[in-house]
Amino acid sequence: MTEKTNPKPEETKIGVYVCYCGGNISDVVDVEKVAEKMREHPNVTIARTDMSMCSDAGQSIVENDIKELGLNRVVIGACAPSLHEHTFRGTVARGGLNPYFFHHVGLREQDSWVHSNNPGGATEKAIRLMYAGIAKANLLKPLDMIKLKAERHALVIGGGVAGLRAAYDIAGRGINVTLIEKTPFLGGRMAQLETVFPTGNNAREDLHSLINEVRTHPLITIHTLSELVNIRGYIGNYDVQIRSQSRGVSGDNAEAALAACTQEVPDDFNYGLTKRKVVYRAYEGCFPSTPAVDWEHYDGKPIEIDGQKVIFENKKKTFDLRIGAIVIATGFQPYEPPRGDYGYDELPEVVTLPQFIRHMGLRDGNVGELTWKGHPVRDIAAIHCVGSRHLAGVHEPQPDGILNNYCSRVCCTATLHQVNELLDEYPNINVYDFYEDIRTYGLEHESYYTEASKKMVRFLRFHGDQRPEVVAAPEGDTHPVLVKGKDYLTNGLEVEVPVDLVILAVGMVPRPVDDLVDMMKIPKGDDRFLLEVHPKLRPVETPVPGIVLAGTAQSPMNIQESCNAASAAAAKVAVLLAAGQVELDPYVANVDLDKCEGTGACIEVCEYEDAIVLETMTVEGKEVQRAVVTPANCSGCGNCVSACPHHAIDVQGWEVAHYEAMVDAITMEVEI
Amino acid sequence: MNETTTTKEPKILILATLSGGYAGADYVGQQHLNYSTNTSILPVRCPSMFSTEFYIKAFEKGIDGIIVMYSGTDSPFKGGPERTAVMVDQTYKKMGELGINIKRLKLAAICTVCKKPFLKQVNEMNETLNEIGFVQDELADQGKDK
Amino acid sequence: MDENKLKADALVVGGGIAGMQSALDLADQGYQVILVEKEPSIGGKMIMLSKVFPTLDCASCITTPKMSAVANNKNIRILSYSEIQSIQKNGSGFIANVLKKPRFVVEETCTGCRLCEYACPVDIPNPFDLNIGAIRAVRVPFSTAVPQIAVLDMDNCILCGKCARACPVDSIDFLQTEKEVEIEVDTLIIATGFETTPIDAKKEYGNGKLHNVIDGLIMERLLAPTGPYARVIRPGDGKEPESIAYVQCAGSRDETLGVPYCSRICCMYAIKQAMLIAGSLPMADITIYYMDIRTFGKGYEQFYQNAQAMGIEFVKGKVAKISEDENQNPVVRVELIDENSQIIERTHDMIVLSVGMIPKYNPSQVYGVNVDEFGFVKSPTPNLSSTKTNQPGIFATGASTGPMDIVDSINSASAAASSAASYLESVRNGK
Repeated sequence: MTEKTNPKPEETKIGVYVCYCGGNISDVVDVEKVAEKMREHPNVTIARTDMSMCSDAGQSIVENDIKELGLNRVVIGACAPSLHEHTFRGTVARGGLNPYFFHHVGLREQDSWVHSNNPGGATEKAIRLMYAGIAKANLLKPLDMIKLKAERHALVIGGGVAGLRAAYDIAGRGINVTLIEKTPFLGGRMAQLETVFPTGNNAREDLHSLINEVRTHPLITIHTLSELVNIRGYIGNYDVQIRSQSRGVSGDNAEAALAACTQEVPDDFNYGLTKRKVVYRAYEGCFPSTPAVDWEHYDGKPIEIDGQKVIFENKKKTFDLRIGAIVIATGFQPYEPPRGDYGYDELPEVVTLPQFIRHMGLRDGNVGELTWKGHPVRDIAAIHCVGSRHLAGVHEPQPDGILNNYCSRVCCTATLHQVNELLDEYPNINVYDFYEDIRTYGLEHESYYTEASKKMVRFLRFHGDQRPEVVAAPEGDTHPVLVKGKDYLTNGLEVEVPVDLVILAVGMVPRPVDDLVDMMKIPKGDDRFLLEVHPKLRPVETPVPGIVLAGTAQSPMNIQESCNAASAAAAKVAVLLAAGQVELDPYVANVDLDKCEGTGACIEVCEYEDAIVLETMTVEGKEVQRAVVTPANCSGCGNCVSACPHHAIDVQGWEVAHYEAMVDAITMEVEI
Repeated sequence: MNETTTTKEPKILILATLSGGYAGADYVGQQHLNYSTNTSILPVRCPSMFSTEFYIKAFEKGIDGIIVMYSGTDSPFKGGPERTAVMVDQTYKKMGELGINIKRLKLAAICTVCKKPFLKQVNEMNETLNEIGFVQDELADQGKDK
Repeated sequence: MDENKLKADALVVGGGIAGMQSALDLADQGYQVILVEKEPSIGGKMIMLSKVFPTLDCASCITTPKMSAVANNKNIRILSYSEIQSIQKNGSGFIANVLKKPRFVVEETCTGCRLCEYACPVDIPNPFDLNIGAIRAVRVPFSTAVPQIAVLDMDNCILCGKCARACPVDSIDFLQTEKEVEIEVDTLIIATGFETTPIDAKKEYGNGKLHNVIDGLIMERLLAPTGPYARVIRPGDGKEPESIAYVQCAGSRDETLGVPYCSRICCMYAIKQAMLIAGSLPMADITIYYMDIRTFGKGYEQFYQNAQAMGIEFVKGKVAKISEDENQNPVVRVELIDENSQIIERTHDMIVLSVGMIPKYNPSQVYGVNVDEFGFVKSPTPNLSSTKTNQPGIFATGASTGPMDIVDSINSASAAASSAASYLESVRNGK
């Protein structure tokens, strides 16, 4: 029932709508004036304004006008096309028009919001842009979405809690999942925790309930020690290449190799507090349980196993998969302070919170007294916001030039949770908590704060631009380190707190994923975390169709929030792949065979395999060569458009003629 | 239509990629930063589609400055940025032949959150145009020379 | 089809942002969804808001398209102005009994033309504007309401018949009665949302009786372009305020009110409103009295830093008492923690209480789900699967599970849809 005929420009009947956007546009742009000017245009049948065009009521107006006034083109000036172009295409289709007989003009982000200092100029610009939109609308042709088979198979990158959650939920919808994890073991950062808030459950027990569900699910395939190395294709049909490293040991000799190995390196699972062998398990009970060789550190020397000298060999292999959608769950790493900051890496009594959690986990039972490097711990200072909430002009940017000006969300509750557990076990320890704001925001988080207060944790409040300092105590002092700062709970009093241990509540930074960013062309935000399209409209989607985000790769999150984001990502994957078919925009190259002379210039500049080829065909009894496009392979970049000496190629929906008409409209002098 | 009585401003056309400059312009808007209103931003998939002829025609129609805000190395299109650079280079040559100041055409990589580079490009183009004047005066002068 | 018996894959209870998102994510996977909403329109609390943090998008720009997408989705059926009466187990699924309240307007024929509204002589306080503005006894609930169908408030109707005469499609039905609808579904999502803590709860803050003390939600309506005055004025005398103060944690982190938890959204909405007021009343002084600023989400801390740069005054202090002077100006008694904890009194033109969140509805009786001491639905697995309840097949999302901002609600809603879809598949495959 959509109209397929293409009226000539002079026959177009255009409906023009200018949105107030609830004041966002109309506070600056004289929207009524814009509509008035539109009415002067010969092709405009009706021009209206509305408080909110995207509302059901606003959309109904357009639908009715199409039906009642016989409109055959619609131009709407509103917010950015990225937000509502899709919405309005649906509106136009419900009105009975081909959805591509619609053009969206952005009057908010590119006009009212950037010209609030010049309302007259903004109004004039709106008129100009709307006229340009009408000029394009006049030339629009009906288009149909390209329907493609979608592979019902998702790739999840990252085997931490978010990746596991996403994999399980996608498989739950009947879709195949391949889960790849870079390290030899699943579990990610959550495995390095001991108990988790708000339940107090053991982190690894919780994690293993999920790992067991994932590893026994018939639709999920797990590859550890595996990375994505190449990707091509498009939503529904990504061809990915994965490279796997071998574990180096196998079931037969694994235990013996583990026992025989003598080369030791700092144990990254314990954040360097201990050492481990280069043949290792991340932790007892990890999955897979088979040990693996740490290829990065293995010195290549033979190890004697059962009387035989064995040299481990990393047999890398790559394999290809056809994938419909991809979940990025690459997670975070704890912020590591530069050497000397708060005494970190210089004073042995300064640790990060993740290190302290490992220290607590490593103790051999309850020995009645907490010790650190052999010394009893009587007084502890915790310092919040280390690596978070940095201020421009006060704090140095990171080596990559980026200022960590964001809040890392989990550190306040995590710190107080840890402090409370510590005090349950060692009620005689004194804890001094240096904070700027305590952000125990979750439903059950505030109770950690009140409990800590009840347990006589001494809170000291600093100002963000005057953070505490950690220095070595003078020789012969009662305690090894001093924390110095101003306490604004007591009128900025200078304090000097002698302690045995300093815990730095470090923030989160994303795991470096520049390789994925480059390969997939997905954006990072100002804070280097991966960036969603819109925090409310499309909160887990990237601008690349079929690639979604899960967990702390996107921003700091706690476990609950990571799992919710992962499940949300799974829901988006299910929406894309459940039907086994995806629809793509029809923006691909189109050859006008009447103009094509078979020069092949287009093929020379095309970088996509089999997107455009020369085929032999018969024209007026003669065999000739003509360019032919395979839409599924064409990216619609337009390289061929400028290459064709006969102007025989255009990208559908984005024709050169559209731009020429828009330039005509823009250069027209408008009187307002 | 009649000319307005207000002082005539140079016209800047910005061809901005959906994956780069156009999203960057939206980001500038979300940050509520200000720039001049003589700018018309048109979304493009990849500016590699524009031939020299297109740019020259635009100048002849009265566009005083064109900024091509492409996605550079962030482009989702293989070979698109390279092809764009080739076309812009060819256009510079043609502009030289026609006596159009090549400063009127600028190719800049703008990312989706490049607010400062976006503003810098717009401001610089305005400064350039204030210095070198309207394209139609330039073309008229060329006509006289011949 | 028998309109009193409906069948679908999933039932979503609550048409706010969370319920809408859950419904859309299920419907877009091909499942049939029924969305039940108690009010005459879907949209929930979000549709009442002015602009939303941290992007400062207008709230309707995000909400109305979702409302429209729900209304236009062929797999979703909306039952508005309807309430769940009871839920029975039915194998692995459920049978819900729903009461459809009388609108006194025939839904099938009403076009939303509003002629009844223009004809109605009875003005009543507008519930959409939290009773500050006025609206007619029969009206389309608000301009962007979905469905666009009128509703008649029988409690205030004088039965003059003007609306019936004005209606061009003869849709006014004074004799309409409530209807019972039985819905058979396989899974169910609770998205019943929140209420703000009552403004009159705290004696020290004037029990809601002070003239120029309002709560954050009313300020949203004052700031909204669709609001009653379309500008910020004092409710007491209509004067434009020159000095506005926010009192944070007014209804949260307060054992005496039975709300010991943090409500998560109040810091950000106060900062956002302060920025919006600074835009519309550039000369006004704006102060935020706070204990801890909790701007923890993506982009939130930067938002806070921007507000500080704009000149909004943040004062760490505990507001002990609010009273008013002879000109009805509110006076705060505040302990300035950064200034040696001295206690001072400051007079403002207007005070906004940053009220917190409490559950709108306690579903434990009807649904048999476990709730916490406050009435929020409690998950047995709060970390790994926060939308699960103790009842297999029943999921809970958004603010029904705890205070949550819009971004977190939307993710929670999609997560609930994901869990519900997995449940549907597992019962169908006989697992």
